[in-house]
Amino acid sequence: MTVSMLNILQSAVGVPAVPMDQVVVATDLRWAGIILLLPLLSLLLCGLCAAMRVKSKLPAWCTVACLAGSFVLSVLLYVNYNPPGEVIPLLSWMNLSWGDGALNSFSANFALYIDSLSLLWIMFVTGLGTLIAYYASEYMEPDLGKGYARFFAGVSVFLFAMLALVLSDNLVMLYLGWEGVGFASYWLIGYYYTRPAAVAAAKKAFIVNRIGDLGLALAVYLIWTTFGTVQYDELMTVLESHSWRAEFEGWTISAIPFLLMLAAFGKSAQLPLYVWLPDAMEGPTPVSALIHAATMVTAGIYLVARTYPLFLLEPVSLHVVAWVGGLTALLAATIGMAQYDIKRIMAYSTVSQLGYMFLGLGVLTTYGAAYHVFTHAFFKAVLFLTCGAIMHGFAGQLDLRKLSGLRHMKGWRITSWTMLIGCLCLAGFPLTSGYFSKDAILAEAFVTQGPGFEILGWIAILTAGLTAYYTFRVWFRVCAGPVSYEPGDELHDDHGDHGHGDFHPHAPRFAINSVLVVIAVGALVAATPYFMSNKADANIAGGWVADMVHDSTARAGLPGLAESQHPHSEEVSHGAHEHPTLFGMDPHKAMYFVSGAVGLIGILLAAYLHLWKRKSADALRGWLLARGWIAWLPRAMERKWYVDELYHALVRAPLWILGHICYAFDRFIIDAVIVDGTARVPRLIARWLQPLQSGAVQSHAVVMIGGVGIIVLLLALCLRFEWLGVVL
Amino acid sequence: MLGWLLILLPLLTAVIIMASPARFSRLVAMLGSLATLGIAMVAAIDFDGWGTGRWGLESSITFLPELGVTLEIGADSVSMLLMLLTALLMPLAVLGSWTAVVDRTREYFGWLMVLASAMTGVFLARDLLLFYICFEFTLIPMFFLIAIYGSTNRAFASVKFFIYTFLGSLLALVGFLYVAWSLASHQGEWSFSIPDLVHFAQTGLTSSEQVWVLAALMAGFAVKIPLFPVHTWLPLAHTEAPTAGSVLLAGVLLKLGTYGLYRFALPMVPEAVVEFAPVLAILAIVGILYGALICWVQTDVKKLVAYSSVSHLGFCVLGLLALNPLGLQGSVLYMINHGLSTGALFFLIGMMYERYHTRDMNVIGGLASKMPIWSCFMVFFVLASVGLPGLNGFVSEFLCLIGTFAAGDTGAYPGVLGPWFAAFAAIGMILAAMYLLIMVGKVVFGSLREPAGVHAHDVLPADLNAREIVVLAPLAIGCVVLGIQPDFVMHAMEGSIAETLAMYPDLVPESMHAMGIKGVTP
Repeated sequence: MTVSMLNILQSAVGVPAVPMDQVVVATDLRWAGIILLLPLLSLLLCGLCAAMRVKSKLPAWCTVACLAGSFVLSVLLYVNYNPPGEVIPLLSWMNLSWGDGALNSFSANFALYIDSLSLLWIMFVTGLGTLIAYYASEYMEPDLGKGYARFFAGVSVFLFAMLALVLSDNLVMLYLGWEGVGFASYWLIGYYYTRPAAVAAAKKAFIVNRIGDLGLALAVYLIWTTFGTVQYDELMTVLESHSWRAEFEGWTISAIPFLLMLAAFGKSAQLPLYVWLPDAMEGPTPVSALIHAATMVTAGIYLVARTYPLFLLEPVSLHVVAWVGGLTALLAATIGMAQYDIKRIMAYSTVSQLGYMFLGLGVLTTYGAAYHVFTHAFFKAVLFLTCGAIMHGFAGQLDLRKLSGLRHMKGWRITSWTMLIGCLCLAGFPLTSGYFSKDAILAEAFVTQGPGFEILGWIAILTAGLTAYYTFRVWFRVCAGPVSYEPGDELHDDHGDHGHGDFHPHAPRFAINSVLVVIAVGALVAATPYFMSNKADANIAGGWVADMVHDSTARAGLPGLAESQHPHSEEVSHGAHEHPTLFGMDPHKAMYFVSGAVGLIGILLAAYLHLWKRKSADALRGWLLARGWIAWLPRAMERKWYVDELYHALVRAPLWILGHICYAFDRFIIDAVIVDGTARVPRLIARWLQPLQSGAVQSHAVVMIGGVGIIVLLLALCLRFEWLGVVL
Repeated sequence: MLGWLLILLPLLTAVIIMASPARFSRLVAMLGSLATLGIAMVAAIDFDGWGTGRWGLESSITFLPELGVTLEIGADSVSMLLMLLTALLMPLAVLGSWTAVVDRTREYFGWLMVLASAMTGVFLARDLLLFYICFEFTLIPMFFLIAIYGSTNRAFASVKFFIYTFLGSLLALVGFLYVAWSLASHQGEWSFSIPDLVHFAQTGLTSSEQVWVLAALMAGFAVKIPLFPVHTWLPLAHTEAPTAGSVLLAGVLLKLGTYGLYRFALPMVPEAVVEFAPVLAILAIVGILYGALICWVQTDVKKLVAYSSVSHLGFCVLGLLALNPLGLQGSVLYMINHGLSTGALFFLIGMMYERYHTRDMNVIGGLASKMPIWSCFMVFFVLASVGLPGLNGFVSEFLCLIGTFAAGDTGAYPGVLGPWFAAFAAIGMILAAMYLLIMVGKVVFGSLREPAGVHAHDVLPADLNAREIVVLAPLAIGCVVLGIQPDFVMHAMEGSIAETLAMYPDLVPESMHAMGIKGVTP
């Protein structure tokens, strides 16, 4: 049955989305494995440092050196690889075969799959990883000799896992990276392990991610049982060689994208699994910047982009992706507006921006999603790192009501201005990188036809305005205005400060400042790929990132390609006949004006409420809270729409009660009543017979005579009826 | 001869221990178990059954020829692996109890050695009588280990452990004897050789006979595994047993049940297994989820790990019932991996208990700041147990689940389970992360909490000493090696697994095929 299924696959001819048959097994690129090994080496060195109780910054330098090596090799790999892709086998892992034929073997090995999508990812992961590790060498100073090596070991584990995730050539190795980054995240969120909040947040992150991992695991099983392989190149070959929708109506084809989606939503913090990400801010800030903003959380986007052909087979799944992404973007933005902790605001902003990326995937622009991942990595890293610098300098102060006018303070100018760059990009200020990448997604929401995609587009535009507002709310509050500050509660002894009056913030030094500048410049430069392209394909707009997507499995979501080259996407495709318009213009063009205007309105609103008339913000809040019919709104936004409470009431509490019920059932019913009760039966019988053993000779005699009598009687009966013989 | 030596050497060690002064007993035990490990490794290197279905270490002693009673040993790759696991855990168990046992050390180490002998015997037995004798004989040393060296409720725990598992095994004996009797009445002469019995039973028993035999075997093996709902002896026995007892109980004794399923139930009564696999699989899944939920509300660390065994062994059984190579590979790997990681967890808890005399998570916590090395190992083995990819637990869990998932219609080995079974079992992955990380969060992380009045042991240092690290390190290495390179073990087992599955592909009824991919119209 299955064999014949595969025959059909191979016989049918479809239009290839990616020329996968050109993917070659390359052994001459084996050195690419070093990209993966360097972080492991760094882990080993950090472990040694920890064991030898090294008190210097040695672990940081080991990590920075190894990651820089990985980055250089990644760039070399980009220069040397042959499009469309190469498979580089490294090491065997799990291989089984029990016969000939399609489904009679299973293999998942450590092998790399190099194509432009994975290259795009590893370049910014290793590049930002190196910079942030360097930043952390200064940031983590207070922990020198204590947790310093442990921190950098965690960063190394993370980099290894992230690279394994991105570079893997099969879904099982991807799963290794997938859980690996989750574990690294657990490690680093729980870095301050004596703080209960950090431990709880770490646990929460791991467990919520596990829910997503369940989806990934089931998707892997389903993909294997359906296609007989878990390797991308083989999978894509099978997919290309066949017009799937016509031949297959099986539930598996529909179920696979939904399971993958669950995994992606868990890792990339989308509704309803986003709750772990804001809590993850308990970790040291470089970790928040690296893992929870720039790299790890984009793994979900990567997964969907990588398996995009599977999503195209079930258009409904893309509709769901788009709607979940859009709604998450809006919801997280509303929460971000009402928070006071600047790091949490950035966390919600990350959730919101990830929502945009999923929206992009859902409305058939993998290009837009990938570009937004790329630009977001830079500007969000800057924003987090500036938050970290502030936190570091003001003894853990993150409350935007207690910080003001940083840009006027000596030593904080670089922080303020780089933060401004990050804010401008995030707000989508015209001609910044965020402006181009966000517009690519927003416009496509109006172009692509799908259920309510136009409403979704307007939601996304509204969210863009909210984003500009909450971003500049932070900047105007913290960096602009009159100088005033209060220290946080993490006064270290080495300050020699006692109380608030003596507190002197210590401004960031070279490592932090240089990294801030480099990444801020990167955030600005990230706009240029939009203009540079080395492909002469007139159909494709979008520059270098589009080129990168073009050679990968996510190719179907390129502008201009979707309707012409992909045969399966008719249900979600662009309207080929009547191109939709926005304000009488092509949506791509109109979006430049619309989103620019919306962003400016948001910034102006923030300027009014948080720079020019700071009192009015509180007045507005008070006015809202005083009115019964609307008071729920600010309250719900500040309490994060009660999603945590909802989880507690709907999932955690019932399961916890169920656990207690099971335990009680186990102890009192199964064990006490059934097991011990049964064990008591012989004793009861014995009690009942006990009087026979009274020790009195007379009764013994009576019993003996009675017993003998019964035996004789039985024997007589047996002989009489001869059935004893029959039985024997 | 090597095989007999493997069984008898621990026994001989026990005799020497009893004959020599108490202060030498741990040393003698260590030497004896190390020697056994050495011989086991020699035997493993010498063994030519890796990858094939061939048997090695074969040897037999004729005992009562007219009744077909011989004592026959031999090992195929799977029994060889489990024997190696036993041989590896023994020196560690001895080293782990180095300072923990103060009184009656001669008997303690003596019984440990006897236990080793019996466990090895189970895995090496190639005839039913030897198998059964060893299977039952494991109970006696374990009984004494719990009853003499256990915690407060040890008397009750030991008796319950003994009677519960003994009763189950008796029923299994009835099943075995029935098969042997059928063989005798069929062939005219008695034979207790396992291959003969298996070969006969596959075809010689009617369907209803197969069902009854399966029921009898399950009565014995399910208690041992333990499968829900006959698991309640386990948490009690674990919490009361001394550390080495718990390690061997979780590491090896529980595997006797799954090994029994693998060696007897699956090849002997395939028709019945196919018929009842869904029912048993549901019990296994209930065990996975139920055990995990119970773990969640535990406060005693050791009890938590004990219940986690109920949950974990559910995966192991599920893999067996998948009736395909993926599932079986996963299941046998699970036996080994669970032995390594859960064994190590019991060691770790023992080390903590030796220092603080408590296992209550409400009293003790935040040990990371006091015992960093211990905490590293704890987190490591918890991750292995949770099934973090790259460590051993993942490989086996993954294979068990993909085997179960694929056990619908997948070409060569159609099975009777399918996606839904795997999906429900996989929820256990989430729950495992929950209860184990909660445990780690309380015991390892957080601010330091120590029981009032009790401070660190006066003999032991605050953190682990070199001896304790030596106990844990081989297990940790094993976890990493089996996590990254399980391939060589998987290849080694292929032949044996093919043999066990020989009857299955043809047996699964056509109607079951529909459980796989639906709606595919070829």
